Amino acid sequence: MTSRLLAPLNWVGGRVLRGVSSLGRWGHLLTDTIRALRHVDVWLRLVLAQMARIGVDSVPIALFIATFTGIVLALQASYTFTGAVPLYFVGVLVGKTMILELGPVLTGLALAGRVGANIAAELGTMRVTEQIDALETLAYPPVAYLIVPRVLAGVVMFPVVTILAVALGIAAGWVTALQLLDMSTPEFVRGLMLFFLPFDVWFAVIKAASFGLVVCMVGCFYGFHTTGGAEGVGLSTTRAVVVSSMLILVLDAFWAVTLL
Amino acid sequence: MSIVIKDLHKSFGEKQILQGFALDVQDGETLAILGHSGSGKSVTLKHIVGLLEPDQGEVWVDGQAVTELKTEELYELRRRVGYVFQMAALFDSMSVAENVGLGLRRISGMTEDAIQSRVAECLDLVDLSGFQDRRPSELSGGQRKRVGLARAIATKPGYVLYDEPTTGLDPVTKAVIDGLITKMQKELGVTGVVVTHDMQSAYRVSDRIAMLYEGKTRFLGTPKEIQATRDPVVRAFIEGRPELLQEEATGAKEES
Amino acid sequence: MKRRNETLVGLVLLAGLATAIFGTMWLQGWEWGRDVVPVEAVFRDVGAAGAGNAVKVRGVRIGRISDVSVLPGGELVQMVMRVDADVPLPDDAAVVLAPESMFGDWQAEIVSQADFPHFNFAAPPGSDVLPGYALPDISRLTATADRISENLADLTDRIGIAFTEETARNLALTIENIQEVSNQLSELIEQQAATFGEVAAGVDEATGEIGRAAASTRSVFDRLDGVLAAGEVEALLTDLRQVSAGFEGLAQEASVTSRELGGMASRADSTFARLDHILEVAQGGEGVLGRLLGDPALVDEVEGTLVQLQLLLEDVRENPRRYLRLSIF
Repeated sequence: MTSRLLAPLNWVGGRVLRGVSSLGRWGHLLTDTIRALRHVDVWLRLVLAQMARIGVDSVPIALFIATFTGIVLALQASYTFTGAVPLYFVGVLVGKTMILELGPVLTGLALAGRVGANIAAELGTMRVTEQIDALETLAYPPVAYLIVPRVLAGVVMFPVVTILAVALGIAAGWVTALQLLDMSTPEFVRGLMLFFLPFDVWFAVIKAASFGLVVCMVGCFYGFHTTGGAEGVGLSTTRAVVVSSMLILVLDAFWAVTLL
Repeated sequence: MSIVIKDLHKSFGEKQILQGFALDVQDGETLAILGHSGSGKSVTLKHIVGLLEPDQGEVWVDGQAVTELKTEELYELRRRVGYVFQMAALFDSMSVAENVGLGLRRISGMTEDAIQSRVAECLDLVDLSGFQDRRPSELSGGQRKRVGLARAIATKPGYVLYDEPTTGLDPVTKAVIDGLITKMQKELGVTGVVVTHDMQSAYRVSDRIAMLYEGKTRFLGTPKEIQATRDPVVRAFIEGRPELLQEEATGAKEES
Repeated sequence: MKRRNETLVGLVLLAGLATAIFGTMWLQGWEWGRDVVPVEAVFRDVGAAGAGNAVKVRGVRIGRISDVSVLPGGELVQMVMRVDADVPLPDDAAVVLAPESMFGDWQAEIVSQADFPHFNFAAPPGSDVLPGYALPDISRLTATADRISENLADLTDRIGIAFTEETARNLALTIENIQEVSNQLSELIEQQAATFGEVAAGVDEATGEIGRAAASTRSVFDRLDGVLAAGEVEALLTDLRQVSAGFEGLAQEASVTSRELGGMASRADSTFARLDHILEVAQGGEGVLGRLLGDPALVDEVEGTLVQLQLLLEDVRENPRRYLRLSIF
């Protein structure tokens, strides 16, 4: 009787405790990562390879997404701006949305799928096949060896990939405006320049860097704490993608509130 | 200088794995730890190199209390302890040479040439000369274990821990691995701890055998002694006869 | 493999960095290889003008605004513009800020100060700094028109409900307001129109006419007092309601789009034609309305206001291009 009454309490208590402990593990990993930064000799040589994997290899998918986004933005803008709004506002819309929102966020989400899943699966496999333990026995601090290079590479490369994506997206919108919308280059460029502020670029870079941090950190976290073989790796990968995608959108809103 | 384990307790959640396990490994000997799957053999090994922290108890290696060491000191200690993992735990992204040489790169002042020659030496020792540029995925199970062994001994450790070195191998390859473990001890003077549930292998490589049962040491003695024991739990394990455990259980009930 | 990594990472990093830097510079309107000089001007207020907006001479873009800052003391705003060095500026150059379009982008036009004698330019602290003046923008114009329509509706309602002495006083007040805002409206339109294209001699004329018309109608109403017929009050009210409704429509039109400015003008024109008609009818009858209002001056004001508005709208209809330039397109 009592136990049945206490069941909901137990459930709530268990939930809270698990939540707190997971938060604790997050904090732990975060401080470990910051502390591991001092093992420069361990991570320095590895950053380059991760920059290639996380950044360079992600360029094609990011550019692909940006190209089509740019085309669609230009077409939808012209569809919306009928009558009262002059056509050069297509340039405004394509430029502003690509730089401020769609460039960073779509690139972030695409890379959450590509990079986040990759990291979680790789570290998860390393965990369940004891490769992380093996690193420790070879006197390598695993956080410095595995997490720091990935997170650093993410923070540096996400903005770079995002900038390239934004540039190509705008170019795609431009070509679309010329070819399909009967606009002229001066018209489009006028719109592009109209409300442009150098801060917009900073905003995009800050956003992209924070997305890089979140995606790589979340991927590392779930990969690092994988348990239970192949199934566990699959679970970690899924969680990493879902959680980092959600965090990207939350961060997006956060930056919009704090920086704009 | 040796490995001493005192009153080791460890549980994962509700599950009690070690409940006062104790062990004393003499310098230069090879000791085999026997036990059922999940009895805590690998957990014990991980305590020796500080991969796990005990809930209670002490682990001493080389005169140092592992649980008391600072991170840097722990890494220093790990350089003196080689660890051969059950599934070899080779790094998939690296070649065989990179795998074997990884520990060496942590030693400051070692030139690339010195590393390469030491890698060749270690591969030679496990009969895998010329395998430097292979990838782990191109190797057979036995070859992977041998590379794992080469990697464990690359830094010339005084201690080597073997986590089920022969599990899942064919009899011939098992014999080769066992031969290597003996070779480590005889030629390099390595102190070894072999975790296994393969009796044949345990008899071949070990000077003494410890049986881990229900979180404690059930038996400790030479291979000869273990073969002569009358303890039904140990006999059930070494002879592969679970019915003896039944007798032990009913016998214990009758006594009480 | 490692070599390839290094090259690729380096390449992508450099490409990203170059894109960010040159893209930003380009979008900010950087002048590569062009001979550019800074020109400074001071304003009491810069409206919505800011860095990056166009600088023009006679409608031709010659540079951009590069910096806007409040001067110490807080009274003046300093603006730095970067313009092509080879474009000659007038001797008595001054800067007029105005909306370039309805969507918030402003422009700075370098003009000759002598062409705009009635603009209240800010006095520059030094000889190499130009005086500047910012025009009120289209939204204020629209808001003014809105207020007029509200006042007219108010007026009509009050006449309709009851006609006591108090309402008459309120009426007087309302009409005063109307006159005031219609004056503001005419001023605004005049200023806006004057900025672009040839300065409107027509507008000056129109303002003069407003004054004359007001004077002449005052004398008309002096006589009107005695001749308004009792039966016409109801008709007058109906027409007044129509006027206010028409004006409301006009205000809405102005805020939605000015493309139909021509149509709007003609609609408003018909409204005022109706009002003229009422007044003519009223002249033929007894002086009931005048007595009801109890204040001949009030009637003057009604007449004066309406005439002014009518003239303005006539001008809009006759010179739509001027107002089209001013508002948006």
